[in-house]
Amino acid sequence: MKQDRREFLRKAGIGALAGIGALAGLNPLSALEKTDMSALSGKPVPGRTRWGMLIDTRSCTDGCRQCVTACHRAHNVPDFGDRKNEVKWIWKSRYEQAFPTSGTQFQKPELLGREVLTLCNHCAEPPCTRACPTQATFKRRDGIVAMDYHRCIGCRFCMAACPYGSRSFNWLDPRPAISEYNREFPTRERGVVEKCNFCSERLARGLQPACVESCPGKAITFGDLNDPGSTIRRMLSEQETMQRKPELGTLPSVFYII
Amino acid sequence: MKPSGVLMITGGIVLVMILAVSMFSPGGGAETADRAAVAERDSTACIASKEYMRSHHMKLLDQWRHDAVREGDRIHETPDGRTFEKSLNTCLSCHSQNRFFCVMCHQYANVEPTCWNCHLLPTETKE
Amino acid sequence: MIEKALKGNRAYWAWIALLIVVIAAGLNAWAVQLDTGLGVTGMGRDISWGIYIAQFTFLVGVAASAVMVVLPYYLHNRREFARIVIVGEFLAVSAAVMCMLFILADLGKPQRVLNVLRYPTPNSMVFWDVVVLNGYLLLNLVGGWTVLGAERKGVAPPSWVRPLIYLSIPWAFSIHTVTAFLYAGMPGRHLWLTAVLAPRFLASAFAAGTAILILISFILRKTAGFDAGDEARKKLTVLAAYAGIANFFLLGMEFFTAFYSNVPAHMHSLQHLYFGLHGHGQFVPLMWLSLLGGIASVIVLLVPALRSRSSWLVAACVGLVASIWIDKGIGLVIGGFLPTPLEEIVQYVPTLTEMTVTAGIWAIGLLLLTMLLKVAVAVKTES
Repeated sequence: MKQDRREFLRKAGIGALAGIGALAGLNPLSALEKTDMSALSGKPVPGRTRWGMLIDTRSCTDGCRQCVTACHRAHNVPDFGDRKNEVKWIWKSRYEQAFPTSGTQFQKPELLGREVLTLCNHCAEPPCTRACPTQATFKRRDGIVAMDYHRCIGCRFCMAACPYGSRSFNWLDPRPAISEYNREFPTRERGVVEKCNFCSERLARGLQPACVESCPGKAITFGDLNDPGSTIRRMLSEQETMQRKPELGTLPSVFYII
Repeated sequence: MKPSGVLMITGGIVLVMILAVSMFSPGGGAETADRAAVAERDSTACIASKEYMRSHHMKLLDQWRHDAVREGDRIHETPDGRTFEKSLNTCLSCHSQNRFFCVMCHQYANVEPTCWNCHLLPTETKE
Repeated sequence: MIEKALKGNRAYWAWIALLIVVIAAGLNAWAVQLDTGLGVTGMGRDISWGIYIAQFTFLVGVAASAVMVVLPYYLHNRREFARIVIVGEFLAVSAAVMCMLFILADLGKPQRVLNVLRYPTPNSMVFWDVVVLNGYLLLNLVGGWTVLGAERKGVAPPSWVRPLIYLSIPWAFSIHTVTAFLYAGMPGRHLWLTAVLAPRFLASAFAAGTAILILISFILRKTAGFDAGDEARKKLTVLAAYAGIANFFLLGMEFFTAFYSNVPAHMHSLQHLYFGLHGHGQFVPLMWLSLLGGIASVIVLLVPALRSRSSWLVAACVGLVASIWIDKGIGLVIGGFLPTPLEEIVQYVPTLTEMTVTAGIWAIGLLLLTMLLKVAVAVKTES
């Protein structure tokens, strides 16, 4: 009896471990990640969620590129190694480049050289979606400015319209320039425009964007700008923050602590 | 009760708890939707009959693409109540077991779908 | 009527053969571009439009300038334009065709171009540009061809064609206004973000387009023995001169607003184009050539003693067209991307492939224009 109970508990413990292991996607047969269906809560309600990001440039280490690497690997972003054909979703700019209309006179020298993380701002009033002739780029119901690569004709109007230089065009076939495929995410093809998607594929699984997760300095906070109780809203209300080129009325969803 | 048995049981419980906590806690102080049950993706049965899928998979995928990319509507519910994510990866999670599943028929029928310009075929690899 | 384009002398066929050779080279270069991607051009992430869109912008103006002969002839009954009005209409047709081909050549996915009609998007200026350009092409083709056909038969043109021609007059203004709106509505591109862009586009179009019409009238007189008449040329010269003045006046407005206000963002693009910025000034010599050459040409067109001499008139017309081509193509389109949104200056140099495609499209337009004018001249000289 005593023996049986011990045996049962032991087996139950192992069983539970195996179950968790399978749930966590350790099953070697399925290389693809499991989907959390509850996170995919049907059609999103327009205007209920507005995803946003707060970047603390003070905790962002100069020279660190972990978020860039993580993002570009997760999304099969090609690396052509030259500026002309460059494709990038997230990158680092100097302070004066990211905020060209901010004052630079008599600022502390450290600030002027500081590296600032730049990416698509997922504007609430995006000029790119206004310019697109096919609605290949459009604002999703959760505020993300998305690309429909199936529809893009490659006219590059969105690139001319974007005041942040956040969009890249596939001047060449991207596949040879991808060092390692992430099989869960498609590549793009020659002739379409691409950009940051706020990791909508990870959000659908209840995960944080790849850049947020990979940041060793925890410099990026991600959350719902429409939820007054969210961490990002609390942080925004407590600190002084900046948006890039606010004078253009694009209402960026990416904020910065300087 | 032998000490080794106690160790094994407590060790197992602790591991389960760690795993459970790490799985269900949202990371980095962000707000993501509550996650409860994890649905079965590796279903043993396809979302529709073989005959239907043979003749209509392109229409269904086109609809899925529209729903998922443009509407943000990512859940497909079968008539018998099973749910699947509207994603080409859902199909591939079973059908990539045969690496030539898509290619075989398309080659025979001499059709060249543009899916694989971007989506990765199971045969597409990097050395 | 089209058979008239198939009868010509040696020079005519040599010209056609030359154009076909250039077209073939252009098609070949386009095939290379389709195969490899737009990476074969000089365009890049920062300067994402190049000479294709520059030619497009310039040629929309050429197309629109048909109104400079259509309006006085049909609305004001100025008989001196009787022989040149068809030249204007057919120039508009070929220019509009070239515009569409340049857009097609610039697309990353030309096979998806019909998506513009499958998913009509009224908030996009491209959608409206496609609508107005195609409409304008049709109006001019139908209007010009029908009137010419009636003339050949020696009968009055059908009554339904007159409303179409009247419609083409405001339509001409619309095509260049909408083309200006493509640029003028973009935040963050300060060279384009200006209310005088559409007026300036119209002024430069009427100057360059009218000058091209004068040049064509000289070519037709020399090669086909078809003279549009000195009276028509005189009137067109005056129109080109005043349109040129309006263009440079509006350019001056840009300079005043940017530099008197001293707002850096408004000054930067002009500084880069005309004086150099952060040590970069790729286009400075070209822009001064355009500015000084353009002003000199306008002066020649204004001085009666000079403009009445054919050699001076031709030189001034060539100068004005070249000036506006540089200003509107290179200066406005490519210069508008600099400095980049991240305040950087990059270089743009068109590649050989890109230039061959460009030459090919020009050759298609010239072939179309040659054949249309051949028909027109044949009908006019017979009747």
